[in-house]
Amino acid sequence: MKSRLWDGPTRVVHWALVACLGLSWWTAETDHLEWHRWSGYSALGLLIFRIVWGFAGSATSRFSHFLKGPATTAAYVGTLGSRETSQAVGHNPLGALSVVAILLSLVVQVSAGLFAVDVDGFESGPLSYLVSFDQGRLASKIHSISFTILQILAALHVVAIVFYLIWKRTNLIGPMITGRRAFATEQTLAFASWKRVVLVAVVAFIAMAWISKGLKF
Amino acid sequence: MAMARGLWMGVALAAGLSIAAPMALAQSAGAKAAAARHENFKQVGGTFKAIRDEFAKGSPDKAVIQANAMKLNGLAGKLPTWFPAGSGPESGAKTDAKPEIWADRAGFAAAAKGLQTETGKFQQLAMAGDLDGAKAQVRNLGGACKTCHDKFRVPEK
Repeated sequence: MKSRLWDGPTRVVHWALVACLGLSWWTAETDHLEWHRWSGYSALGLLIFRIVWGFAGSATSRFSHFLKGPATTAAYVGTLGSRETSQAVGHNPLGALSVVAILLSLVVQVSAGLFAVDVDGFESGPLSYLVSFDQGRLASKIHSISFTILQILAALHVVAIVFYLIWKRTNLIGPMITGRRAFATEQTLAFASWKRVVLVAVVAFIAMAWISKGLKF
Repeated sequence: MAMARGLWMGVALAAGLSIAAPMALAQSAGAKAAAARHENFKQVGGTFKAIRDEFAKGSPDKAVIQANAMKLNGLAGKLPTWFPAGSGPESGAKTDAKPEIWADRAGFAAAAKGLQTETGKFQQLAMAGDLDGAKAQVRNLGGACKTCHDKFRVPEK
């Protein structure tokens, strides 16, 4: 019997962020800076939504649900060697750290991009008018370094999923697509209403629009 | 004990300085020119950014555009003098200037002239108070930068 695990918004945000990451990477490599900005703005909106959702969303999306102390995390690490199927409902304590690390590096990535100025002072983020040329160049360097960190974290994330798939015979990809997963015992979790989804989405969209227009409407 | 250690630190520091200072002074004329060029190009970038920032505002300030238009045209006029022989990568300085600048003198001069034509036009439009025309000209300024950078500057990675 499969239980409902991840809500719709969390899954949509997850895969949309994956798409933004790929699109941003490609548009940066091929000098399509106009598309790169749009991709970044989308990521900004998704991030704002996800962070608010971490406090106001469905149970398994909340930071308070999956962030655990060092002792619990260490205890979980101890169980990694066992080939038993993982029964963690939602993010396990180690995965929680990965979630937070990826979200933080995304925040750094997007924020630095907002202030970034290219070497010619021609292409720039929407908030670069608030900083000097040199500060904008520094933002650009941070944007580039944090992308490397993001790539490492994303690779680690994929490695972990493959590890669960092969070693623990636990498929984590399916539930992130369908939202459902089988557990030893059926789970009844709290899910946010669609009204709340719409409300948070509207707030995130307005915040994104305001920031991407240079703090103006 | 503490005093002896302090003394030795002082001696070590003085020795370090006495070696490092002449080395810094011995920086070649070419490397110095490369460093000066770097600062000059930062000025160009900063001026260009100031122009773009001003146009991004709802109501750009004509005086700001004009001042930066003059500054940019002035910098463009001097640009060819920022590349004395020996200031390329062979100077040991950290520079993105390609050796082609010196190998293809005529091509580089033409690219610099292309920039001066565009900055000249931009200044004319700005001084005439034609802000819409000047705004449209920004694209050509960027194009002139790119023409030269594609050929004569090491791509940023």
